[in-house]
Amino acid sequence: MASFIERMYLQLTLVLSISLGIIQAVDRSNFKTCEQSAFCSRQRALRPGQSSYRALLDTLELSDSRLTLQLLNNNNKVRLLLELYRLQGNITRVKINELKPIKPRYEVPDVLITDPPTEPMSVVAQDERGVVLSLGGVDRRLYVNAQPFRLDIMEGPKLVLSINSRGLLAFEQLRMRKDTDILEQEMEVDQPGMWEETFKSHVDSKPNGPSSISLDFSLPGVEHVYGIPEHADSLRLKNTDGGDPYRLYNLDVFQYELFNPMALYGAVPVLLSHNTHRTTGLFWLNAAETWVDISSGQVGLCGRTDGSGEVPQTDVRWISESGIIDVFIMLGPRPADVFSQYASLTGTQAFPPLSSLAYHQSRWNYNDQEDVAAVDRGFDEHDIPYDFIWLDIEHTDGKRYFTWDKNNFPQPKDMLQGLMDKRRKMVTIVDPHIKVDSSYKIHSEIRSRGYYVKNKDGGDYEGWCWPGNAGYPDFTNPEMRTWWASMFAYDQYEGSMENLYTWNDMNEPSVFNGPEVTMLKDALHGPWEHRDVHNLYGLYVQMATAEGQIRRSGGLERPFVLSRSFFAGSQRYGAVWTGDNSAEWGHLKMSIPMCLSLGLVGISFCGADVGGFFKTPGTELLVRWYQAGAYQPFFRAHAHLDTPRREPWLFGPDNTALIREAVRQRYALLPYWYLQFYQAHRTGQPVMRPLWVEYPEDVTTFTIDDGYLIGRDLLVHPVTDEGSRGVTVYLPGNGEVWYDVHTFQRHDGALHLHIPVTMSTIPVFQRGGSIICRKNRIRRSSSCMENDPFTLYVALDPQGNAEGELYVDDGHTFKHETDRQFIHRRLRFTSNTLSSRSAPPPGNTIPFPTASWVEKVVILGAQEPKAVTLTSSGGGESSVEFEFDPVTLVLTLRKPDVNAGVDWTLQLQ
Amino acid sequence: MHCPILIAVVIWSSCVDSQKIRGISLSYKRFYRERKSFLCIDGSKLIPFDQVNDDYCDCADGSDEPGTAACPDGRFYCTNLGYRPHYIPSSRVNDAICDCCDASDEYNSHTACQNTCRNLGQRERAEVKSQMRALDQGLRLKQQLIEEGVLTWRDKQAQLRDLQRVLDDLQTQLDDLRKEDARRKKEVDALRELEIGALETEENSHRSHIMNESPVSIFYELDSNRDGRLSAKEVRAKLTDIQDGERVLSEDEAVIRGRVPGRLVKGEPVLKAAVSAAEKAAAELKKVEDAYETVYMEIRDLREKLATDYGPEREFLFLYNQCFQLKVHEYFYELCPFNQVTQTSASGAEVSLGKWGSWAGSPQHRYSQMKYENGEPCWQGPTRNTVVTLTCGTETALRSVKEPGKCQYVAEFQTPVACRPALRQQGVHSEL
Repeated sequence: MASFIERMYLQLTLVLSISLGIIQAVDRSNFKTCEQSAFCSRQRALRPGQSSYRALLDTLELSDSRLTLQLLNNNNKVRLLLELYRLQGNITRVKINELKPIKPRYEVPDVLITDPPTEPMSVVAQDERGVVLSLGGVDRRLYVNAQPFRLDIMEGPKLVLSINSRGLLAFEQLRMRKDTDILEQEMEVDQPGMWEETFKSHVDSKPNGPSSISLDFSLPGVEHVYGIPEHADSLRLKNTDGGDPYRLYNLDVFQYELFNPMALYGAVPVLLSHNTHRTTGLFWLNAAETWVDISSGQVGLCGRTDGSGEVPQTDVRWISESGIIDVFIMLGPRPADVFSQYASLTGTQAFPPLSSLAYHQSRWNYNDQEDVAAVDRGFDEHDIPYDFIWLDIEHTDGKRYFTWDKNNFPQPKDMLQGLMDKRRKMVTIVDPHIKVDSSYKIHSEIRSRGYYVKNKDGGDYEGWCWPGNAGYPDFTNPEMRTWWASMFAYDQYEGSMENLYTWNDMNEPSVFNGPEVTMLKDALHGPWEHRDVHNLYGLYVQMATAEGQIRRSGGLERPFVLSRSFFAGSQRYGAVWTGDNSAEWGHLKMSIPMCLSLGLVGISFCGADVGGFFKTPGTELLVRWYQAGAYQPFFRAHAHLDTPRREPWLFGPDNTALIREAVRQRYALLPYWYLQFYQAHRTGQPVMRPLWVEYPEDVTTFTIDDGYLIGRDLLVHPVTDEGSRGVTVYLPGNGEVWYDVHTFQRHDGALHLHIPVTMSTIPVFQRGGSIICRKNRIRRSSSCMENDPFTLYVALDPQGNAEGELYVDDGHTFKHETDRQFIHRRLRFTSNTLSSRSAPPPGNTIPFPTASWVEKVVILGAQEPKAVTLTSSGGGESSVEFEFDPVTLVLTLRKPDVNAGVDWTLQLQ
Repeated sequence: MHCPILIAVVIWSSCVDSQKIRGISLSYKRFYRERKSFLCIDGSKLIPFDQVNDDYCDCADGSDEPGTAACPDGRFYCTNLGYRPHYIPSSRVNDAICDCCDASDEYNSHTACQNTCRNLGQRERAEVKSQMRALDQGLRLKQQLIEEGVLTWRDKQAQLRDLQRVLDDLQTQLDDLRKEDARRKKEVDALRELEIGALETEENSHRSHIMNESPVSIFYELDSNRDGRLSAKEVRAKLTDIQDGERVLSEDEAVIRGRVPGRLVKGEPVLKAAVSAAEKAAAELKKVEDAYETVYMEIRDLREKLATDYGPEREFLFLYNQCFQLKVHEYFYELCPFNQVTQTSASGAEVSLGKWGSWAGSPQHRYSQMKYENGEPCWQGPTRNTVVTLTCGTETALRSVKEPGKCQYVAEFQTPVACRPALRQQGVHSEL
């Protein structure tokens, strides 16, 4: 309890050099700047200029789908091998490795879902200055300039992107230490930090010496770049000239700062660039510590392009500590194309169980079974729905994951059954640090099977984390992952049941006494150094855990796993959240750009701790956070152990009502959220979208990150200022209209709209031209609403048309995929007729029986009809009652009473 | 025209009567009398009667759908024959969870709910009975404790009077002894002046000033808080110009000097005798002063104790000076009412969870909760505190201690004096 934990903390702070909680904001000195990171400072010292590399055109080899070419470093004569691929879907892959490395360099496995399918490439022209390759289309070309080496991607006369145009290609070839190899003659002079590096008291032994790589990309005509999460920064990436680059190195950062390029818990090395004509993406497939420099400015154009004079340009430079250069250039041209291109490489968002899109109640910690039961009861007493209750680390027997505290959770199955009786679920935390304790089964098995990460001398690596001394399983080992997955079987994880799901925290991995609170870089994962795989560790933990959940159900049930750390591809395994934020207005605001950035790079299932993890939110902040969180993909309230309780009913009846209303709005929209995730799963389009994604030609949208879209049809601009009395919302779309979802008031697009707000206001707008399905009967949990009827909100565009979709399946199994058991309807309102037809061609799905029906249709921006007739397949014709409000132009059709799964038509006369 | 409608209504109404409107209580039946149309109870809308409970929400107040889940914030009446009837939110109708013990809420959800009202009713009646027994017994015990409390209170008042008398006596003695002490001191001073006065040079005026006074009086002058000990602070406060070799007065030095008051220059026998007499007088004075101090403190404590709010009939007085323990897993808790709450871990470390603060129950039941505040500070947080809820029972014991939020403890303390006759009314009420 309190005093024990307190002592443990104090002990830790004494024993370890890091301070966990004494300070009030991030202790920057715990984390490296580029200057303090030897390879980054070496690489950054290289200034733009003429590249020392030259392409040796006589080494060019072209097979059907692959072009190879050697690059020679004029200074040290080391040769590199360049590989170029034209991939399906307008993607170009550029790989550069040493031609003959003295030992293999790490190439990231398990991130690409498949060996990307290629398309034929042909040489269009060739002379002594270079080669021109066709990238398909009529006029897409790749120019290989020989000396200095440079790649240009052109579309017609337009330069889309240049590689190494600033000459920052740098490849530190693997080498033997000078004192051990006298044959080495051409070797450059050793620089500090090449063979050993010390940070604070931590020594990185670097037995392989320097191995870093770097490459620059120039994006002419581009002023806006996005992506490369995770950073607590604005959506639009900033110029890094004169400051530190954006850092990608998964770290457990205590009380992180806002507007800062420092690394956080996860890393997705994908950068999007956007202007009014084109969106492109760069995917830098490297899992080592990476820094990204961004420099924007005006440049004079010359040469092959058609432009003249000054145009904006953004230069991006990537620097990684080890591995190879393997970069995917996704050429768009529309935002949606970039998303599907990236999805074709790393896969799409896992389709989550419907209930996981509902509300989650968490805190560090719910103390015992009685506490869990009391909180559960509290929700019912205050008539607030929730689906998941969470247990943090204190539920375990001494931080031994997969176990329960015997005193506080003596009968976990009784507890889980109690929740199941209310059709609710639970999540327990399972972290990847394993207590070193020979009587702990998980530990002794991992040790005896040799599954732990090793230190450089070959012994099991051990570090400090919650349980004290802990080992870290080597999740890069597929055998280890299979074993880990098997631990989630009901007979292995004692006390678990089918309504128990998992949360992987601390998987950066967090090591309290390690350098930068993580693992030593010279620790070993089989043949590879931790240096090579670091940013992948968290992905593998979530991958193995999700696999465990799938297996325990015999492959039937969809998993739900939340992870703090992530990498490119993590979207395939579940949800992520923005880690240990604080109960501050700034953190509430920041939750939007952070999740938007993740959505842009494939990870749609994102949320922030509602209320803020550290510190105690004021009531207004808490209410506003619920209102904002209700409209973010992952909706979970969470709190630090040291903060006072903050269940929704503890702040007086008025605030309870405000929170209840916010949560209810979430539940009503669950069919829409579910549809968005189904689409994200199928197509890779983000669920939470910056406005520019849907309005790519409207420059006003390019920097907006306080409002966003859910799918295409809902625009949300939550109130994130203390004492706010109004917000200014930008409604995009020239000639479009938007409807306030609460008042049904219609507003024109392409305008800034000031709306007054009270404590109950959540500014949300439905796009004219869309149809959104809601379930307005809010029950205790989403499962209880399974068979409830739908209300259709038809928001007409100025032409009187609207379109939407409805997706229904069992909500939790893979049968939608394996047996094609689902309902997917296309809803269309045109010429005064609303119809529902199967979205996939008929016969393509197995009819999924649903009890849900259409109870109401609300048409916004309508005219009064004379009569309304319903025609349904097999049901014949019937007339439908309606009500029309001439002031708001809202037409309500009463109880069409038609099953959600059949074809029907509502005719307005 | 009239005839067929009339017939239709008659047929329809007989039909409705036989199959009562679902989800309403007897007192609401009057709103749902079979007519052609139904007026929403808030008067907002008139709808055809066949739209009552047709699984579509027409009335803003939800009154047209008492038996379905169609209206937000509607309510469904569980008749629960054999148990207590009550309302549930209509969102719990047909959600595959049995809420009414008569199973009436799940008439269309394929969930087989059992009618458990009879069992629940029996169980509750038995429970209420045993609670009532305990309450009666508790109230009897409470009466005894109140009577004991009256006696204790009288005792304490008498004790206070006695102590006050003793204190008065001591005050008289003190006055005499102080006079005697002053006289003796003067005598010594006079003698000293005679014998060594001439020899005294003025080169060390501080020293002579000190030596000119009796050590005891210096001591008392220095001992500003009258605790019989000198602390460095006290000495520094009075004699800023005294400094030791290191020019700073340490705690040890202060205490030692205080405890061995003065080393006098040895003089003539007469002076010696006078000094010894003065010392004796001073010692005597000190003794009486100590006694005075002790009694004074006792009175103060007793007054403080008697000033505490022990309830309208001083029924909680008996808890004073008592402590109650409870072991919860590896922790050992102790509640000493009107004093403090502590937690002792297996390793033996004791942590204060709060000192007596105040009664903290709701205005109607002020004496149902106690608050203990300002315990040991929490790491990175406020001080620990404990809210003790008092419950009625035949024994007086600490029943549970929990920490629902970090460093915020809640305890249940059972005692007969928490029994209130009003509880009997409530018990009878639920006994249906």
